[in-house]
Amino acid sequence: MRIRDLAIYFGFDKLQRLYQDVKIHGGLLMAIQKFRRFDDLKSGRLIGQDKYGNKYYENLYYFFGRSRWVEYPEYKNCEMDGSQVAPEWSGWLSYRTDAPPYADPIKIYTKYKWMLDHSENLSGTKHAYMPYSTTKPKIEAWVPKKDD
Amino acid sequence: MLRVPLTRAICLTHSSRVLVTASARLQSNIPAKAPEKVEVFIDDQPVMVAPGTTVLQAAAQIGVEIPRFCYHERLAVAGNCRMCLVEVEKSPKPVAACAMPVMKGWRIKTNSEMTRKAREGVMEFLLANHPLDCPICDQGGECDLQDQAMVFGSDRSRFTDIDHAGKRAVEDKDIGPLVKTIMTRCIHCTRCIRFASEIAGVDDFGTTGRGNEMQVGTYVEKLFLTELSGNVIDLCPVGALTNKPYSFSARPWEVRKIDSIDVLDALGSNIVVSTRTGEVLRILPRENEDINEEWLSDKSRFACDGLKRQRLITPMLRKPNGELEAVEWETALIGVAQAVQNAGDKVAAVAGSLVDAEQLIAVKDLLNRLGSELLCTEQKFPTADGTSGTDFRSNYLLNSSIAACEEADLVLLVGTNPRYEAPLLNTRLRKGYVHKEQDIALIGPKVDLSYRYEHLGNSSSIVQDIASGKHPFAQRLKSAKRPLVIVGANALSRSDGKAFLAGLHSFANQLTPEDKNWKVWNVLQTNASQVAALDMGYKAGVEEIVAAGPKVLFLLGADGGAINKDNIPKDCFVVYLGHHGDNGAPLAHAILPGAAYTEKQATYVNTEGRAQQTLVAITPPGMARDDWKIIRALSEVIGTSLPYDNLDEIRDRLEDVAPHLVRYGRLEENNFYAQAAQLAKLQASSLQGDIDVKQRTLADFFMTDSISRASPTMAKCVQAVKKAQATA
Amino acid sequence: MSAIRIFTACKYGKQAFRPTIRFSSTAVSETKDQHSALKAEHGGYIYVNNQEPSMDFKDVTDRAAQTMFITEIFRGLGVTLGTIFKEPATINYPFEKGPLSPRFRGEHALRRYPSGEERCIACKLCEAICPAQAITIEAEERSDGSRRTTRYDIDMTKCIYCGFCQEACPVDAIVEGPNFEFSTETHEELLYNKEKLLGNGDKWESEIASNIHADHLYR
Repeated sequence: MRIRDLAIYFGFDKLQRLYQDVKIHGGLLMAIQKFRRFDDLKSGRLIGQDKYGNKYYENLYYFFGRSRWVEYPEYKNCEMDGSQVAPEWSGWLSYRTDAPPYADPIKIYTKYKWMLDHSENLSGTKHAYMPYSTTKPKIEAWVPKKDD
Repeated sequence: MLRVPLTRAICLTHSSRVLVTASARLQSNIPAKAPEKVEVFIDDQPVMVAPGTTVLQAAAQIGVEIPRFCYHERLAVAGNCRMCLVEVEKSPKPVAACAMPVMKGWRIKTNSEMTRKAREGVMEFLLANHPLDCPICDQGGECDLQDQAMVFGSDRSRFTDIDHAGKRAVEDKDIGPLVKTIMTRCIHCTRCIRFASEIAGVDDFGTTGRGNEMQVGTYVEKLFLTELSGNVIDLCPVGALTNKPYSFSARPWEVRKIDSIDVLDALGSNIVVSTRTGEVLRILPRENEDINEEWLSDKSRFACDGLKRQRLITPMLRKPNGELEAVEWETALIGVAQAVQNAGDKVAAVAGSLVDAEQLIAVKDLLNRLGSELLCTEQKFPTADGTSGTDFRSNYLLNSSIAACEEADLVLLVGTNPRYEAPLLNTRLRKGYVHKEQDIALIGPKVDLSYRYEHLGNSSSIVQDIASGKHPFAQRLKSAKRPLVIVGANALSRSDGKAFLAGLHSFANQLTPEDKNWKVWNVLQTNASQVAALDMGYKAGVEEIVAAGPKVLFLLGADGGAINKDNIPKDCFVVYLGHHGDNGAPLAHAILPGAAYTEKQATYVNTEGRAQQTLVAITPPGMARDDWKIIRALSEVIGTSLPYDNLDEIRDRLEDVAPHLVRYGRLEENNFYAQAAQLAKLQASSLQGDIDVKQRTLADFFMTDSISRASPTMAKCVQAVKKAQATA
Repeated sequence: MSAIRIFTACKYGKQAFRPTIRFSSTAVSETKDQHSALKAEHGGYIYVNNQEPSMDFKDVTDRAAQTMFITEIFRGLGVTLGTIFKEPATINYPFEKGPLSPRFRGEHALRRYPSGEERCIACKLCEAICPAQAITIEAEERSDGSRRTTRYDIDMTKCIYCGFCQEACPVDAIVEGPNFEFSTETHEELLYNKEKLLGNGDKWESEIASNIHADHLYR
């Protein structure tokens, strides 16, 4: 006990955690790869995955605000954006609810055929939304008949 | 009909205010026996009122407003909404203020505990069956029930029917393309029923059932076919009757309201134009006791969607291949200017029915500078070479004023159908007929005028008989105290109109009404521009232009069909200046897009000679501009600049020509009746044939000018009327 | 990253350094604390405004010594050193996101009824209440006779996200959803029209519904 306390006192447990995390991620090379993409090396419990390939993790070891995170899929490479999170997971990810979508009765119930797939923020791409009028023109001009 | 019982019912309780203002001038020298006034106390304030005044009217005199739904000052008293209950001291029960005449010394409490409780109770009953659909109700924001529920209603509800099973529901009625009905919202004030039977003269509405089963409807499925149907929308205190073309398009708090003048008939009804996001959404009447009271005809109210269709929004020039092509203003003006310069003094102008005085004067000045006098209006009016029938205003005006028409005791209508040519003049006549024992006779085709009249026939020889005093009706006119002869402008536009004018005018001058100031001779114009044009010296009728064969012809909104391909020379360069692509524009070689009456500040003179001005509600669409400014710009390109650069300056010029044109809202006294008649007599000839009117039935009423012809709502109305007439 | 921070001496580390710093610097303040604590006991209040520095010989020399040995610099360095070993409070966005309330007012959305029928009835109450006048509505009668908008524009650059529009809405049609990740590169992309707003609703409906449910007891 005393040695362990001493180790914690001098922060050696963190070293051990680092070793664990590297091991979980499959070796030093893989861990560096992961670190490059996520700017962090965390391991936690996999809570779920959405249909876009985002994986959602939780580890209560970290403080509130860091204890839940998302890992964007590999194919996104470094093109990762906060808006890629699926809407039904956003509530869990930002601590609005503790229930993941598959355990939230409202979200299970709320599935209609008119609901659309999520799309990330497309600003800056050629698919970006551009405003247009949804009304008819106010004035109809007279068009002279051709035979006149 | 309802003539006899209502006369008594209304005399008892009808507001004396309406009658006094309308006829103050006329009754001034009739000594009226002033009845003894009684003193009553309203909230401890003493007020002296004439006996027979109701509690509600007495309260209104000192500015105490009593809430009401069913009471309307221009309609008979019904007393069925009970909202106006007030406490009267020593009376065990609250009293309905709208129906109860005051007694001497009554102490009325309009904000006592009993009154408050009574109102709260009535409101609770009304709301018990009124749907809470304010968010989708078009009346929301201008709803009497909403407002009064806020002020007088209880602050909590006892309505516990949370499963929404117990509210009354009523089937909606289809009463035509103008008025939308949501009858579940109806609170049975019966204002619409009373309006239909008293003012419009169409006994279509009524109630069926009693108590909770009571319904307002048309008994059988039937359209509410009258030229005044839009007014029930204004009268309805809730959202049961709403404006169908305007439905769901705007809220009253978000529209801009601009006071303006209607130009679709010659009465110049006062209107409020509601606009939002650059389009005219609806038109409402504005109260003017001298002209339209608070009513408005359906054409004036609903034709406003025609302002958005068939508009001319860019200048156009005809290409060598014969097609009209949109061009810039500069190109168009240069094109027109070249044509004008090549034409010398062979330039002419025809004014249509919607032209304002500023435009008329600008065109007149321009043509005069070019050395031409060929300025005409589309509609004919009896004229003769040298001396015209239009030299005296009294010849072509409704001299006795619109308001005074209800005071006449004998009216002779000649060649006119006032119901459709001037619906609000017809309501005046009907008012005189219902309330004041007015007798009306008509020469012309037999039409439905909404009141009973004596049909003298439709042969023009009858006119001659009356003019010469042979006809028995002439004797009646002579013995009448306040006789009135109203001649339709269309009757005078006949080829023998001169004889009409001469015969009837001199006959009218022979009559000796009781009041020396009473005017017998009246002409009912049908075009809003006609009076101003004649005032300014335009000649009526296009014969002179056709005879002269001009090289350049300006059509100022002339869509009436007087000018067509066949009666102008082949090489004539036609310039159309106007706002709609209607009958005139296809003839044109150059089109200069102008502004419609809601888009310019302009002067119009109505049939009684009253100058009024429209105000700018929205900007003209596209590249269209104020008409007189176009003429001003054109004059500069031609090389004879007109000496006015802004509205004030052109109105100064108007004042130089005809000072009354800028005295807005005032009615000018006319004179020279005898001379006018004398002058006309010199040209008299004999009369032949039958008298006809253009607008016989309701179907003829809706589409009469370029705006209403462009209006889809008016087209729907015509269809609905034709369908109803076919099935009837 | 946190795992690498092996020298996170954290609280323990700070405590280890404290006595040495305290030795020189807190002598004066300690006596003052005792003084004010006494005062609080006696008079029932603590004087918190600046007090005249004591002009005792001992205090004057203490202050001079502290200035001479730049002790404040060392205290500052001590704080810095302690914080180096602490776990950072920074959230690693976009992988981690900060906590939000179910009442969070983010990007607007127009909702539909479960049948797919749009909720908005064009009553224009949101337009009327909008303090920034960001909402523009035009309406007309749809062919089936119901009251519907033809234009429902929100200028998101005018919007102040006050949430009055969703408060005013009688049918819960316009809501401010939980999405805050809608920043754009150009201004006009933030001029939302009806189509865009309905699309937002269609994408976020499950989340909006669960937020409304989370709040239903308090409305």
